[in-house]
Amino acid sequence: MDGAEGRALPVDLDREYSRRNFLKTAAWATAAISAAGIGGFGVANRYAEAQTAPYVTYQGLGDAAILQFAYLLEQLEGTFYAIGADSGLFTGNALAQIAELRDHEFAHADAIASTLGTLGAAVPAVPAFTFPTDATASAAAFLGYAATLEPVGIGAYQGAAPALVSKDILAAALSIHAAECQHWDAIKILNGVSPPNNVALEEALPLGTVQAAVAPFGITG
Amino acid sequence: MRREAEKPEVGALARPRTRREIMKLAALGLGAAAGTSLFAKKASAQTTGVVSDLDILNFLLPNEIFESQVFYPAALDAGILSGAAYDVVAQIQEIEVVHAAALADAIVSLGGTPVEAPEFMVPEAVLASQQAFLEAALVQEQKDVGANLGLGPMIQSPDILAAAGAINGAEAENVTAIKNLLGVVPPANEPFPAALTQDEVLAILAPYMGMGSMMETGGPAPAGGVGDKRY
Repeated sequence: MDGAEGRALPVDLDREYSRRNFLKTAAWATAAISAAGIGGFGVANRYAEAQTAPYVTYQGLGDAAILQFAYLLEQLEGTFYAIGADSGLFTGNALAQIAELRDHEFAHADAIASTLGTLGAAVPAVPAFTFPTDATASAAAFLGYAATLEPVGIGAYQGAAPALVSKDILAAALSIHAAECQHWDAIKILNGVSPPNNVALEEALPLGTVQAAVAPFGITG
Repeated sequence: MRREAEKPEVGALARPRTRREIMKLAALGLGAAAGTSLFAKKASAQTTGVVSDLDILNFLLPNEIFESQVFYPAALDAGILSGAAYDVVAQIQEIEVVHAAALADAIVSLGGTPVEAPEFMVPEAVLASQQAFLEAALVQEQKDVGANLGLGPMIQSPDILAAAGAINGAEAENVTAIKNLLGVVPPANEPFPAALTQDEVLAILAPYMGMGSMMETGGPAPAGGVGDKRY
């Protein structure tokens, strides 16, 4: 996190990041972080620190803010898989899966954007994402990053779901969550994990952990 | 009023055995589980918004018991699985044990009593070969995901919903793991996994409750319309 230490990373977020140490985000060391925009979530984040259930960290944000954050996550994932699909690293079944994941993530983003429109809420501008320089160094490197990214999406949806107010939006979020879990399984298959379905209970992540995990890519909301 | 007239006796609710009993349960929209009246309440829930979390959990529990204690053990004991297929199925069986325990714990935490599961069996045809079983297992795992997606939005307690999400994610992974074994390319191929109605869930379970095949619980019909069409 060399490039990030000199910046105004919120203390609560930083502590959450260190404490959980759930993701190997140190690998994204050269990525830039901007604290702009984090403040809106920070209030709920601090409120939630004393709590235990991850969903508490999303409560009070409102469906629109949660969806706006989810939209950026989907755009990030879709862009990541698009890079992978175009990298020339994958062929055959692996390429078919990477391209499918790309399409899923963008389909999720489109569905979320549509819902935001229905809510009368703004669709966030997609930032210029920053990816680690070695992400496409090899198929193994790319899949390694994919294996750390997918649990973030899973954890975000699973964590946020109980905080959603609209039952219709909840139903959509649960479906997308299930798709993300299938993505992770597919990545584990490509990584040679056997059996790939090696989790009995998926893990929800607190908002701060998700924010810290995706901040190095350029998501600052 | 017809629903009242056709309500099966309590004994049949506890352990439906005959096709007629199952048909009655399904026609009423009652769970395969003993005493569950989830779907019957769903009709009123559309206006009142009230469906008990306990009912939902007790609808889901017998399904996990079926898979963890009957369906997957039968395949593991049948000698039809080998290699990665055996490993994946063994893993699923262990996962479903965890899920059944989690649901039972959740029921107790809400002050309820875990329902007793009806008697299940596995038709011989399902155990005829690895391929046959994996195809059947895919249907079951997709049913699990569909059930959770259908019921999830009806859950009132955020803690119960959080637990349901943790469970459903694993079921979703099971789907992809089985698709991979079946040679589906790519194995993760659903951008929006579909929800199922309780009737659809029951229809998938019916062949494992002593019925030779799926009868007339409403059949595979578009989500949301099955129970309503019958009356």
